[in-house]
Amino acid sequence: MSDSEEHHFESKADAGASKTYPQQAGTVRKNGYIVIKGRPCKVVEVSTSKTGKHGHAKCHFVGIDIFTGKKFDDIVPSSHNCDIPHVNRTDYQLIDISEDGFVSLLTENGNTKDDLRLPTDDSLLTQIKDGFGEGKDLVVTVMSAMGEEQICSLKDIGPK
Amino acid sequence: MQGFSERGGGPLDLAQLQSTMHAIELACASIQMHMNPAAAEATILSLSQSSQPYQACKFILENSQMANARFQAAAAIRNAAIREWGFLTSDDKRNLISFCLCFVMQHANSPEGYVQVKVSSVAAQLLKRGWLDFTAAEKEAFFNQVNQAVSGIHGVDVQFTGINFLESLVSEFSPSTSSAMGLPREFHEQCRKSLELNHLKIFYCWARDAALSVTNRITESDSAIPEVKVCTAALRLMLQILNWDFLSSSSGAATSTSIFQIGGRQGSDSPKKSECNLVQPGPAWRDVLVTSGHIGWLLNLYAALRHKFSCEGYWLDCPIAVSARKLIVQFCSLTGTIFPSDNPQMYEHHILQLLSGIIQWIDPPDAVSKAIECGKSESEMLDGCRALLSIATVTTPSMFDQLLKSTRPFGALTLLSTLMCEVVKILMTNNSEEEAWSWEARDILLDAWTAILVPLERNGGYALLPPEGKNAAASLFALIVEAELKAAAASAFKDDDDSDYLQASISAMDERLSSYALIGRAAIDVTIPLLSRLFSERFLRLNQGRGIVDMTETLEELYSLLLITGHVIADEGEGETPLVPNAIQTRFSDIVEADKHPVIVLFSSVIRFAEQSLDPEMRQSVFSPRLMEAVIWFLARWSCTYLMPPEENRELNSRKVLLGFFGQHNQGKLVLDIIVRISMTALVSYPGEKDLQALTCYRLLHTLVLQKHICLHIVALDSWRDLANAFANGETLFMLNTAHQRSLAQTLVRSASGIRNSESANQYVRDLLGHMARYLAEISSKNDIKIVAQRPNTILLVSCFLERLRGSASASEPRTQKAIYELGFSVLNSVLVLLEVYKHESAVVYLLLKFVVAWVDGQISYLETQETAVVVNFCMSLLQIYSSHNIGKISLSLSNSLLSEAKTEKYKDLRALLQLLSNLCSKDLVDFSSESSETQGTNISQVVYYGLHIVTPLISLDLLKYPKLCYDYFSLLSHLLEVYPETVAQLNSEAFSQVLATLDFGLHHQDTEIVDMCLRALRALASYHYVETSAGKVGLGSHATGLTYRSGNLQEGILSRFLRSLLQLLLFEDYSPDLVSSAADALLPLMLCEQGVYQRLVSELIGRQTNPTLRSRLVNALQSLTSTNHLSSTLDRKNYQIFRKNLKTFLIEVRGFLRTV
Repeated sequence: MSDSEEHHFESKADAGASKTYPQQAGTVRKNGYIVIKGRPCKVVEVSTSKTGKHGHAKCHFVGIDIFTGKKFDDIVPSSHNCDIPHVNRTDYQLIDISEDGFVSLLTENGNTKDDLRLPTDDSLLTQIKDGFGEGKDLVVTVMSAMGEEQICSLKDIGPK
Repeated sequence: MQGFSERGGGPLDLAQLQSTMHAIELACASIQMHMNPAAAEATILSLSQSSQPYQACKFILENSQMANARFQAAAAIRNAAIREWGFLTSDDKRNLISFCLCFVMQHANSPEGYVQVKVSSVAAQLLKRGWLDFTAAEKEAFFNQVNQAVSGIHGVDVQFTGINFLESLVSEFSPSTSSAMGLPREFHEQCRKSLELNHLKIFYCWARDAALSVTNRITESDSAIPEVKVCTAALRLMLQILNWDFLSSSSGAATSTSIFQIGGRQGSDSPKKSECNLVQPGPAWRDVLVTSGHIGWLLNLYAALRHKFSCEGYWLDCPIAVSARKLIVQFCSLTGTIFPSDNPQMYEHHILQLLSGIIQWIDPPDAVSKAIECGKSESEMLDGCRALLSIATVTTPSMFDQLLKSTRPFGALTLLSTLMCEVVKILMTNNSEEEAWSWEARDILLDAWTAILVPLERNGGYALLPPEGKNAAASLFALIVEAELKAAAASAFKDDDDSDYLQASISAMDERLSSYALIGRAAIDVTIPLLSRLFSERFLRLNQGRGIVDMTETLEELYSLLLITGHVIADEGEGETPLVPNAIQTRFSDIVEADKHPVIVLFSSVIRFAEQSLDPEMRQSVFSPRLMEAVIWFLARWSCTYLMPPEENRELNSRKVLLGFFGQHNQGKLVLDIIVRISMTALVSYPGEKDLQALTCYRLLHTLVLQKHICLHIVALDSWRDLANAFANGETLFMLNTAHQRSLAQTLVRSASGIRNSESANQYVRDLLGHMARYLAEISSKNDIKIVAQRPNTILLVSCFLERLRGSASASEPRTQKAIYELGFSVLNSVLVLLEVYKHESAVVYLLLKFVVAWVDGQISYLETQETAVVVNFCMSLLQIYSSHNIGKISLSLSNSLLSEAKTEKYKDLRALLQLLSNLCSKDLVDFSSESSETQGTNISQVVYYGLHIVTPLISLDLLKYPKLCYDYFSLLSHLLEVYPETVAQLNSEAFSQVLATLDFGLHHQDTEIVDMCLRALRALASYHYVETSAGKVGLGSHATGLTYRSGNLQEGILSRFLRSLLQLLLFEDYSPDLVSSAADALLPLMLCEQGVYQRLVSELIGRQTNPTLRSRLVNALQSLTSTNHLSSTLDRKNYQIFRKNLKTFLIEVRGFLRTV
């Protein structure tokens, strides 16, 4: 790939635009990502079948929306291209949880990031709040794709 | 909860018995109505677990109005008696059995059949439990009673009950159907032998006499009468006895030289689906089964029944008819020494007699099949087919064919062929219906053909087949092919989407095709020209109609034809190089000109056809992905046998023509080149066709490079260089599934064994893969790697390269080892960087780990000291980084399936890590390095323990529920403990206790194999300690002796802890009897190490036993555990064996009463 292409990408990423890449459907594997019906999904099942006995192969994908957990499926001829979402994950240290449902995160270069909402789901919320309440040093991983972002995992980085 | 025990076995008053009965009835009722079933079950369980509940049970059986309660009472008698058998008096034992027997006889007309069956099976089980203790006279007393019943003097119902009891008894004594009794296998074996020698034949005669006694009444009456029930049961019992696994079938066969030995072959290695067990009861049974006119009676009985099918109460599938037919079919499998070797007429007469009865079921075939199509039941015809299968299994083909000639103008092979033709015709007309009778008939008849043809194929003797048989096979094969092609054409437009079903049907079809192939080979001189003609007709049709009409039907026919032909001309290799089938080798021997050799003509035309797929236009219009799959499959199967066969120069003239034609010095290279170019086309020009590409990678290319002499030629081909170049530098192959890229990498590297010069071989590998290693190194050193790495296109590229490197690593051979080591070495650092960067991208992490596993596996045994140290350090860093990323990590997701995916991914990662550790372990077992690294080298065992220490915290109990992970983990652990007990001794106490906690967990695992591994580990630890301390060394040191903490708490030594928990397990818990031997091996050294603790545990155990009789039994048993058979305090093989034996006796003696509630 050329340098200009990389540069091109960087500017777009900074602009926060949703970003996808084309990739041949036949090469998309289970555990990879795919865009189905405009949503970034993790592929949990791939099967192939043929259009008629002597026709060409098509892929049947079952994907789960990485943000909402909803299930989607799609059928694509395997020589055609699919959209693959650019899924980014960044680690931040958790500094604070505010009353109004936002978290305060410490970025690598020392700034804070305060625009991320806590998840609305109760069980996820308690998992974060409990850990923080116990005074553990928590690192949260924020997953972002196609203009959305969400906390996807958390990790205790050892006792204080 | 209420207990039902009767302390001391004293008499109970009526009120108590009543209340027990009511409690049980209540429990049964509430189970039926689903009211608090757990409590109800507990109540019922407490009855069978209480001490000596017999009186209460008998009371319930005799008085309860509720059938279920009676059933449970019978079950309770069984459970309690089996448990307490050891200390019941012999009077008690006899009384229980005769109570059950009398009960069933008295209630013979009871409508609740299941209670009867249960009580009769309890009697059978108890009789078996005491079989070796009872005297002959005691057994005789029981059997007299049964005999009277079976003879019919007490009426039909009692007769029926008696036969049923014998049925339970026989099934109880047959090892495959016996119930568990907590006794060793030898017990069951002894019972089986004793019953077979002393009773089985008598039972058979009783059953026969019972059937005889009612035969007349059945044949004379025109409607169903009660005697039919007796006769059916008797027939069933006879069938069951003939199904017995007779001892003489194994022992007699080896020594005797009967002419029927050829016939008495075992059918187990042939690809048959239908059951066909040989019945070989030995000469003692001759008078009963063969010479007494027994079979004549049976055939007459069935013939009489056939006439009654129009009467009320009888029909083709009524129980008595079914049983009679089954017995007749079973008689067809009778063989072995029961027939005297000096009197072949006797056997012939036997088979002829059977055949004369059976023939009416299947002859004339067309009339029979027509009747079935019109609604007649097919079961008689199917049984007829089964009988033919049985006869085909026990006779030689020529004898089989001769059989029928005495009564019919044609032989049995012709009959078999016409019968099957009828079935195939039916299949052709309505192939839409699945599970139709014709399917089953076809499968049975195919098995019969297989039974006839497999031994011919093996002995190279198709010549042994009579000419009439050959004609029969030829016409049958032609019809089969016609039917298959017709079915193919008809299904061409069907779009069956259910892919799950597809796989199953393909393998079923494969089996069927091998049977077709056998039939085809039986008439090979007709078959090959036929196939050639069918091919050329279709090629012509394609060429004429291409682009004008729809070709789908022809394509599908070609698909079928390729599969059938592939099976006829070659065998499945299954890893070996298959030989040219005998039929093809021996026929056509008179033809010396290659261009007239029918087989060569056939092959050439198929290859020429396949070659046309290289032309883009032809590919577009003719070579659909599915047809291409068949082409690739055919080429793979064909080339295994015929392409450059290694023996081409050493063979006789006749075969030389065929083998030499595609040999190295003739057309071989040309064809190889065509095959490589076709493969390349399949990989490049069929984007996204995963199945096709999988076949190309795994079946075709992979098998080509397995043969070294083919590699020699393949690396010299331009087409192969093109493929390698496209792989190394092109982009098209990135479109392949990554797993296929891995296989391709492996294939390409493996072909380097054909390069004679070692330096060029290494250079070839470097050229192939260097680019990829450089890319990985480059990308991991970029400053913005964190951003670049997360792009989907980068992820795709990295994944492809890792898979390719993994594939090449798994192709490591001494010759290319150097290059592969360097390649791997150059990316070690990148691997660690990528592991960090992709820590959230589990798919890539897994690929990274798998690459390292494969690379270490391929390299470790070649590495020198220095290199070993580098690799080991790298592996430890890898483990640490992986662990630091994952320990304490919690995935947050709304989706349960994503969470469980995350767990599965973790499981796969951990398995890979454990594999990595096992691979490192193997360095100590296989080491090809030049210097002996004993002195200054890395201590592998320490490294692996350290690695295990890092990995163990990541393995949660939840993850151990994955059986494979659990297995891997414990096999690694027990391996370490067995091979390096001295290293364990040096572990710090934290690491040590972790290892021990897992062992403790594994000891109580459900999986027998895992418990076994833990026991082996325990044995290793304890015996190490014992041997060391006996020699005056420290052994396990403070781990074994226990520690006193500053707080004053005493930490118990581990050996005494395990001694305690192992004893607890052995005496009180449930486990498989198979484990007793390994448990004994672990227990002995533990006892020797911790004799004081053992004495203390033993006195505790004795102290807890209040009943004085049981107490003295326990004391004696414990005494003899350690003192009988001259057990000494050494740890040699002999002593272990003695202790195993002692422990088994001990457990049988005491477990029964120790486990009583």
